[in-house]
Amino acid sequence: MGERGAVTEALADLAGEELDDQSVGERLCQACVEGLDVDGAALSLLTAMAARETLWATDSVAQRLEDLQFSLNEGACIEAATTGAPVLVPDLFHTTETARWPVFAAAVAEQTPVAALFALPLQWGAATIGVLDLYRCTPGELSRAGWRDALAAADTAALLLLGRRTRPPPAPDGPPSSSPDGGRDGDGWGPGVFSRPEVHQATGMVMAQLGISSEEALARLRAHAFAEQRLLVDVAGDVVARRFRFTEEMR
Amino acid sequence: MRFDDPTARDPRPDRERQVGRAFVELADTLVDDYDTLDLLDRLVTHCVHLLAADAAAIMLADAGGELRTVASSSEDAEFIELLQLQAGDGPCMQCFRYAAPVSAPDITTTDRWPAFTEAATSRSLFRSVHALPLRLRGDAIGALNLMHHRPGPLPAQDLALGQALADVATIGILAERSIRRSEVLAEQLQTALNNRVVIEQAKGILAQQAGLTIAEAFDRLRDYSRRNNLRLADVARAVTAGQVEPATVAERRGTARRR
Repeated sequence: MGERGAVTEALADLAGEELDDQSVGERLCQACVEGLDVDGAALSLLTAMAARETLWATDSVAQRLEDLQFSLNEGACIEAATTGAPVLVPDLFHTTETARWPVFAAAVAEQTPVAALFALPLQWGAATIGVLDLYRCTPGELSRAGWRDALAAADTAALLLLGRRTRPPPAPDGPPSSSPDGGRDGDGWGPGVFSRPEVHQATGMVMAQLGISSEEALARLRAHAFAEQRLLVDVAGDVVARRFRFTEEMR
Repeated sequence: MRFDDPTARDPRPDRERQVGRAFVELADTLVDDYDTLDLLDRLVTHCVHLLAADAAAIMLADAGGELRTVASSSEDAEFIELLQLQAGDGPCMQCFRYAAPVSAPDITTTDRWPAFTEAATSRSLFRSVHALPLRLRGDAIGALNLMHHRPGPLPAQDLALGQALADVATIGILAERSIRRSEVLAEQLQTALNNRVVIEQAKGILAQQAGLTIAEAFDRLRDYSRRNNLRLADVARAVTAGQVEPATVAERRGTARRR
């Protein structure tokens, strides 16, 4: 273990770029098709209220898989989103796994050439942000390295999407919320944030202080860090140490 | 202690009994439907007691190969791990890289990890750090760190015991669910790391709602899970999803089994 895979490497470069959700989806899916032993990829966002939006699909088959799942409301991707665990089906025709979504499996067999399907959830704590679907027209498992690469890529994509969704809006004349150097936002948002317990602890405290979701709480923390021109981890530290608390009036 | 307590006359040294008890408890955990993070949390606590360490922590590599702290006996231990991550070097990182034990009997006098030494010395938290690999087929999937306030080597016997505890951690991670595919290990690690985020959020919610410190909040969360025979991550998930009242989890109960 140790070295990064091709897909993770390709995504790491995106951290410093100004990308919208769709571009993140496009780059992630393309990197997967190029770096992994798969024929197509799609990324769907799962927003609040169980609404879904396919951000990107590399081809019509990948798009078809997404459409089928969303209209039937069952399938590997839906299961990955609900359980928060990856769903791997290396051989769609020789497995008992498809018994969990019989209608979807039958539709895939009838309407697409897909033989293997891998659905990876993009997660942040208990929340599932979206799902990355990979398919192949021949059966077989992903290699160990490929699997690790795919998981890491899903993780990086989750960080990018979450970062976008919680990023404070740029002030009219103020400094940009994203710094061009170092590939990090001005408040220190980057891969390192996931390994800082105080950020998650402070998120929980703000959830309780304002009765809001984890994503909103994180957005509030980032907005405050931005307004004060401080690092997210430092603001989080203040919240945990009770030197600072959010109140309803601050909304 | 009662006078007819049979253990009172046990001729074996105290530590041997404790070691036995620790492994029995860990084996019991492995038999049940357990949570990896709960097991690792028990492990670091045992490390502190059995190896007379001042702190202990376990780091695991995520799918991208980056190390992340998943269990620690104290915030200070967590901090030392963070310093190593930031410095990009240190006993734990080296141990992971080479899948071999690394001892730093005095971190203030060694020149092996200048950036880490400088950061750690300025905080004067610990003087010695010993890192043991979580070994799997010649690779390391993470590392166990033992920290002491005083400088000095760790006796060979303690190193062997520490390695045995590190091996239990590896077994625990591998066995959480049945191994069906070679990919499962990466998935287990990823799930454990993600569960850690949920647990930290739940600690924050409990701390806020019940006016507790983060450490107290974790104690209550852990006690509630064990009392009700639930997985730590599941309870944390329920707290963050608002499916269980924080007050219920945060309630202090005399019946909680303390180690």
